[in-house]
This record gives sequence, C-alpha cells and structure tokens, in this order.
Amino acid sequence: MTKRKLALAAAVLVIAAAAAILALGTSPGSAKSSGTFKAAWIYVGPHNDGGWSQAHDAGRLYVQKALGSKVQTTYKENIAVGAQLQQTVASLVSQGYKIIFGTSYGFFDKALAAKYPNVLFEQATGTDVAKNLSEYFGAAEDTVFLSGIAAGAAAQCNTIGYVVAYPIPEVIRHANAFALGAQLAHPGIKVKLVWTNSWFDPAKEKRSAQSLHGAGACVLGQNVDSPATGQYAESVNVPWVGYDSDAQKFAPKSWLTASVYNWGPYYLKRVKAAMNGTWKPGFYYGTISDGFTGLAKYGPDVSAKAKSLIAKWEAKLRANRGAEFTGPLYDQSGKLRVPKGKKLTVQQLYSMNWLVKGVIGSPKG
Amino acid sequence: MRFTVERRLNQPRWLVVAVPIGSVVVGLAVSAVVLLATGHDPLSSYRQLFDAAFLSTGSLNQTLIAATPLAFTGLATAAAFRMRIFNIGAEGQLYMGAITGAAAGLYLGGRGGPSAFVIAAMVFMGCIGGAAWAAIPGVFRAFFGASEILTSLMLNYVAAQILTYLIFESQSYWRQTKGFNATVFPTGKPLPSSAIWLGPTVHVQGGITLPLGAGFAVLAAVVLWVLYRRMRFGFEVQVLGDSLGAARYAGVRVRRKVLAVMLISGGIAGLGGVSQDGDFRHALDGDPNGLQKQAYGYTGIVVAALARYNPFAVVVIAFLIGGLANAGNTLQGADFPSGLVGVIEGIILFCALGGELLVRHRVRFVPRTRTPAVAAPEAAP
Amino acid sequence: MNNSLLVVLIASGVAYGTPLLFGALGELLAERSGVLNLGVEGMMLVGAVMGFWTVQRVHAGSAVALIAAVAVAALAGAATALVHAFLVITLRASQIVSGLAVTIFAGAAGLSSYLGNDLNLADVPASHTFHAFFPARMQNWPIVGPIVFGQTPLVYASWICVVAVVYYLARTRPGLNLRAVGEAPGAADAMGINVVAYRYVHTLIGGALAGVAGATFTLAITPQWVSGITGGAGWIAIALVIFAFWRPELCLVGAYFFGALQALAPELQARNISLGPTELWTNSIPYAATVIVLVIVSSRGGRRRLGAPAALGVPYVREE
Repeated sequence: MTKRKLALAAAVLVIAAAAAILALGTSPGSAKSSGTFKAAWIYVGPHNDGGWSQAHDAGRLYVQKALGSKVQTTYKENIAVGAQLQQTVASLVSQGYKIIFGTSYGFFDKALAAKYPNVLFEQATGTDVAKNLSEYFGAAEDTVFLSGIAAGAAAQCNTIGYVVAYPIPEVIRHANAFALGAQLAHPGIKVKLVWTNSWFDPAKEKRSAQSLHGAGACVLGQNVDSPATGQYAESVNVPWVGYDSDAQKFAPKSWLTASVYNWGPYYLKRVKAAMNGTWKPGFYYGTISDGFTGLAKYGPDVSAKAKSLIAKWEAKLRANRGAEFTGPLYDQSGKLRVPKGKKLTVQQLYSMNWLVKGVIGSPKG
Repeated sequence: MRFTVERRLNQPRWLVVAVPIGSVVVGLAVSAVVLLATGHDPLSSYRQLFDAAFLSTGSLNQTLIAATPLAFTGLATAAAFRMRIFNIGAEGQLYMGAITGAAAGLYLGGRGGPSAFVIAAMVFMGCIGGAAWAAIPGVFRAFFGASEILTSLMLNYVAAQILTYLIFESQSYWRQTKGFNATVFPTGKPLPSSAIWLGPTVHVQGGITLPLGAGFAVLAAVVLWVLYRRMRFGFEVQVLGDSLGAARYAGVRVRRKVLAVMLISGGIAGLGGVSQDGDFRHALDGDPNGLQKQAYGYTGIVVAALARYNPFAVVVIAFLIGGLANAGNTLQGADFPSGLVGVIEGIILFCALGGELLVRHRVRFVPRTRTPAVAAPEAAP
Repeated sequence: MNNSLLVVLIASGVAYGTPLLFGALGELLAERSGVLNLGVEGMMLVGAVMGFWTVQRVHAGSAVALIAAVAVAALAGAATALVHAFLVITLRASQIVSGLAVTIFAGAAGLSSYLGNDLNLADVPASHTFHAFFPARMQNWPIVGPIVFGQTPLVYASWICVVAVVYYLARTRPGLNLRAVGEAPGAADAMGINVVAYRYVHTLIGGALAGVAGATFTLAITPQWVSGITGGAGWIAIALVIFAFWRPELCLVGAYFFGALQALAPELQARNISLGPTELWTNSIPYAATVIVLVIVSSRGGRRRLGAPAALGVPYVREE
C-alpha cells in the first residue's frame, strides 16, 4: 500500500473515531435523568485525606444515603482557588448541578454567584452573602475547647505542644480555645505553638511535633489535618489530641479525643431546601447543640475526672455557644481583652488576631 | 526481520502535522483500553472531554483561561531552551512578574474603565519583575558557570515563599487590609478598575471573552520569532546554542547573550504573571492553594518541548493543553477518579513523544541477511 | 547535649534527608549514563503507594512484610522508569518531556493517586513501620546516639547504597564504563560497550531507588498513604545531583543538609528563636543556600565543566 493510501486510510479512521465519539458518547449535558436533583461538592484537597475534605465527603455521602435516587451527588477534589475553581464551577453548572458546596475559603464570592444566578452556592468558612450565596461554618472552637480540657488533664508537666497551620483568625481562635480548656483542667499550663503554614503536610507536622516534644511538651495537639502528629506521639508514648476526625486507629494508646465536624445534617437540610424551593441565603454558624460539631470517642487514657469536667462544660456550651470566651480574658502581654462577664461575638471570633495568656508563640506566624 | 531507525534527511510538511494528530489518536485509543479496564465508558468520557474543552457553551472561555498562562510560560521556556539555556524558572519568574505588575496596577490605577496607560505600565513592570528574577540565574550562569537548571529551579521555591509572604504573613502593600473579609482570611488587595484587563468579547458560543493576555501572548510569539529568526541577535544566540566554541570564535559575546536570553525568557514569564493579575484574579494571588498549585511554569516546559521550541507552535499547543487541563477538571468526579485524568494525560503525552520518532526518523523493516555489515545499508530512498 | 539545636537538626536531617538521598543516588546513576530523568517525583509516588499496599497485604512478620514492601516499591519504580527509558532510549524522544510526562502520568494527579484510591489505602495507618533499629540505651549516647543510632534501617541501607555506588563508579569495570557512556557514548560504543544496555539498566536502577525513596515516606517517616505524600521530594533530589556535582558522597552531604534545613523552621519556633519573618526565611534558606553554595563552588572551578556527563540529555544514535 502506498504511503498516500495509508495516510488516507488513517485520516478516514480519525474522522470515523471522532464521529463515533460525538454520536455515541453520551454528553452529560443531556440530562436523561431529569428527575434527580444534582448537588456538587468542591474540595481543596483529596477526598480521602483523613481530615478536612474527608469530613465534607462524609457529609456528602450522608446526603446521598438519606435521599437515595432523588439526588445525584458528585465531588471535585484538589481544586485550587482561582482559574481551576472557575473552570470547575463552569463545568458543574453546564452539567446541570443546582447547588454547589465550596469547602475552602475563597472559592465563591459575590461576583461568581452573580455570574450564575440560577445556581445556589454555599461557601464554608467564608463571609460573602448574596441572593444565591450562603455561608456556613460552626463553633468548632467549643469542641476544641473541650478537647483542650482532655489535653490539660492528661498533662503531667507544664507544656502542651500544639501544631497549627496558618496564623489566621480561624486557627488562632481554635488555639485560644484549646489553651483555655487546657488551663481549666490544669491551671497555669502553657500551650506552645508551631506553625506549619500548610493545612495538610504530614512530614512537616511530624517535624513540628518532634520539635515541640523536644522542647518539653508532654501532650501533643493539633489544628492541622493529618494524623502525623499522633503517629509521632504514639511512638514516644505521649498523649495526643487530634482534629477533624476520629483518628484513634493511628495512635491507639496515645489517643485522647478530637473535635470533629458533622457536616452531614447541615448538608441534608440545605439540599432538601434547595429541592423544594425553600432555600434562603444566610450565615449559618453551627453549634454543639445542633450536632454540627462534636467530640470523637475517648481514648483509653482519659481520666474519669476529665470526662466529668468535659461533660459539665459540654452542657454549658450547649446552652451558651462560645461560653469559653467569657471574660476576663487576657492576651499574651497581659492586657485585658475581654472584660469580666462579657463574651466575644461571632464577628470578633472571626477576626481574632491575638493569643490568650499562656500561649507561647506569635499570632503572626 | 528487524527494523532500523534512520534519521530523515528532510521532514515532509504533511508529516509534521499528521504525526502529532495521529499520536493523539493512538493515545486516546490506548487510554480507551485503560478506561474500559477500569470500568468507564471511553466514548462518554471522550465526549465529555471535547465538550468541556472546546464544544459546549462557554468552554472556550475556560480553555483560554487555562491556555493563556501556558502560552506565556511555554514561550518563556522555548526562548531559552532553544538556545540550550535550560531555564526551569518560569514558575518563579511568573510569580515575580505577578508581584511587580500588581504593584504597578495598585499604585497607578484608579477609577474609571480600563486605562491603556495603566495596563501598559503593568505589562512593563511585569516583564521587569520576571526578567529581574531570571537575571539571577542568568548572571550566575554567565559569570560563574553555575548550572541555570539548578539555580532557576531553586529560585522557584524562593519566589513561592515571597509570594505567600506578601499576602499571608505580612501586612504588605499587596494585602487587603480594609473590610471585614480582610480580617478573616488573607487576601490580596483588589486592583482598581482602571487596572483590570478587559478583553474583547466575541459572539461565538454564547459570548467568549478573549483575555487581553492571550493577545499579548500571540504578540510575544511574533516578537520572539522575529528576534530569533530575522535578527542578528537570534543568529548569534543560535550559534551559541549549537557550539560554544564556534560562537566565541565568531566573536559572539557569550556572557551577554546568555544573560540576554535569560532576561527575555524571564520577561515573558513575568508578563504571564501580570496577566494572571489583570485578566483573571484582579488581585495578587498569594494563596498557597491558588496560583502556586497550578504549576503553570512546569507545564509550560512540556508545552515548549512538544512545540519543539517554535513560538507559533507553542501558542497552538498551549491552547490544546489548556483545553486538556480544562477538560480533565470536568471529567473528574465521584464516578471518575481524578487519578485517571493524569493517567490519560500522561498516555497522550507518551504517544505524542513516541510519534515524534516518526517525524525525525524513518523506520524501515529490513530482511535479515547474512551479508557482512558493510553491505547491509540500503540504497538511498 | 543531645537536645542542642545542632544535634537535633543533624539527626532530623539524616532522617528526613534519606528519601532525598535515595532519589538522588538513583538520578545520579541515570544521569551518569546520559539519561536525564525528570520523572523522579512520579516514580517516588508510585513506589510509595505500592510499598504501602504491600505492607498492608502481606500477612507475615514485620521484617518480612517491610522487606517485601521495599522490594515491591523498587520494582514499581523501575517499571515506571521502563516507560521513560523506552521512550528516550529506543524511541529517542525528548528526555525532558518524557520525564515530565512520567510525573504527570504517575504523579499526585495520576496513577499513584488512582492506585491508592482504588486499593483503599487512604486513611489507614501502615500495618508495619520501620522503627529505630538500635536499643534506646544506644540512642541516648551523646551526639552519635540520636544522629547515628536513632535512625531506621532504611537510613542504614542508604549508607550502604552510597558506599556501593562510590565503589561501583570508582573501582569496578562497569562503573568506569559508565563514565565513558555518559561522557562520550560514541567512543564507548567503539570500545565495544553496549551503550543502550547501560542506559536502560541505570535508568531502571534510578527508578528503583526512586521507588525506595517513596516507600521511605509511607513506611518510615509518615506511615500512611495520601495522594502526593512525597511533597516535591523528587524535584529536590534532581537538584541535589547537580548540587553534589554528580558525586555520590556529596549527595549524602547535600541530602542531609536539605533535610536539616527543612527541620529548621519548627525547631526555631519550638525554641522561641525568632529570625524575623520566620517562615519566609527558614523556608527560603534551603533553596537560597543551595544556589549560593553552587555558585561558589562553580566559580572556583572557573570555566571547567561542572562534572555533568557530556552526553547527558542527548539520545545516542549509532551511526551506521
């Protein structure tokens, strides 16, 4: 066969293949399943990171299970803020998704929501609200506070190490809550911070845990997403408080407890509202009492005394969210920041940039 | 029966076009097998890919958004690699251009619609930023003989740290300090409206906005082509790339040329950075989960190499790879593991690479003979 | 004394620098044969995931499971390297693009992630991990305790590898042939050395070592699997080879230098030592230091070659 004929045959083949794809490949835009409501989640990390994104995915699965064939859910993982997020949203919208949950700050803003007025957007940990854009987060600081009590109670020295991510208000208020809880159970104890500047970096977190332990910490805690701190804690027989998920399997003996998020009930509520047209934008701030945040199972070494102190405060917090931030509260320099009897508002919590007395480390990173 | 591979003496035009297309088809065919093996429908997946990249409403918008930075980093890489100066630092040079360009926009911008003056200033400062960052490995290579591969790569990490620092760890000029949002999470100060790059809208597919940066990229490609093919500078640099000794003998000032090439390369990458600010983000993006996760610089290397360092081919290939990246995002989901996207992209790249062989070489099947090696080579084709 | 900053940094440097060392040794061998492998990160990730899978699946004693895991990781890395080798040696494709394509194919958004998810390896601790080999008593000895005796067997294996590679390159016939293959393949070919075979073998060994490097993460350093767990170590390993002027003993020094510098930031924070914008400085220092060291050493050599194999990156074509 001459080269020319070969080339011609190849060209025909390519055209045939293209035609096959266009004709036979079902485009997802052609919604055959027009009855099902489509909901999507966008994650900043892998859906099975054992931390933040995985908790959201658990919420998504909760919705899928509760609504069965009435809803079609999907997720996009490892989406960077910016161009990739734009593309992802554009493709989800063109595929007919009617409500999209963005699980990292900066995903959705007013401009994006205005671009797609017929789609509902929900942004976690964000601030913008619009006609079709709602915000949601919750008082994790309350349960982090409780987990701090467990840490303080388990401490047999004067320092707890706390591995933290970015010096932003969300992390700062969690660190403060943790310290307040530890000080409640163990007056005068110090909480030392090491910033990793990453939400999820197992090797860095382990290095940070090692440094804290070397500097005298006898209990380790974290506000980052991987269980690396716990694995290190287990290897040196030091108690450990986790974050985001029940990670006892990574450190069976060291495990104390952790503050965990239950995104499922909120997601179900919102998807149902979207489905029957009663969805309204707002600023949801979940609490212990509506099940948004809770404590993971206790480990073997949580004393009865600690458990009862935690139970007492949990009841208090159920009735009064954020009660742990009631004055008098002093910052690291000794200045009175919250006068006696006053409680910090949500807005103040959202912009918190100072650390309480007893925390060692800089709020600037 | 064995096969020999011989270099072609000339490369027929049709082959240069047909082989890449053929390779992509083969790549898709191989990927189809992988998809079937993992329980996915190839035809639907490919339909989704093409839809998302080129066909569906608004898809070209998204593809252009992905392709524009790749065109810049591809051109930057091609400008250097063509001369055997391996500038791996397009990523960092892009960040620095974004920083300096944003500074120009913030400082000079004001109210009102997009201003040609402000945009021009941003372009200028963006190029300066990228070029300055590239000057470091350039100087080290030209005057100290230090490998630009290593120095430019290391500086990528430093540039990323600086970028994060400006937004996340300091109250710098670039950081938004007013407003409630600003206290909740570190963000960049939004560019004033006269500093926003507004591109023309074409009424295709429901309205496609051509990013201004895309236009600049095409312009840069033309400039690069003219510089390298039509001007003495290009000729001298070509000689330099081919043979250091010959260049010196011909009186080419090696050090200056090396530095110049790095500056040009860095400048183009820097322009890509300021395009990110002006075209897309409208602020400086210092979020480690944002611009820094996109790896535009490194993907640009792939683009440049596939285009064999020809500026116009870089623009075309950047468009295609941008489409592929865009489509890959669409494809992943609960029913399609994101890992498979990378597998498919890799397979297509492998096939494209394999196909390259056919462009530069001719494969012939030779019947095994017992005659001594001297007699074996065939008559000229 | 064992808690002093220097000792802690060096001990950390050794522990965290080990994957860098494995990766760099592998890359060094490949590059010495003239093949540039930019796919180290992808190969590390494949080794990490397959090593982890093995350790979860093998139901035997710790030692057996871990050795099997390392072996499988090496095989996985080598298999990935085979793709790269075939493309650049037999098909004479661009080595740069091929390496980057391998990283895309096998990397954090590719095959390694797919395998990890498909085999349900996420969010589970490793069934067996490498622990410190020597007894605690020896680990507490001054200075050498934490630095030498507080390490996992993989660290000791890496030392053996360094010695082996040094000996191989300097004293064995194949090692000396390797040098010829990388510098002047035409001459080597004329001498009867099978250039293609050398390149294949050394590229595959490079991949195998990269696989072991990846397994170091999932079996020793952070015994879990998550997509992208190596966090860019592959790129550092590539840089390390240049930094070490293609000499294995300098790879060791460089790897530990990098590892130590990465441990600098948390250590300084824990000790309340503030160097200003700590994060910026301590994260940039490893990279800036590398550049400075390279410039100083290069300039002393003047116009002489760095030591890069002359035929690095160029496909070998035998003229008929």
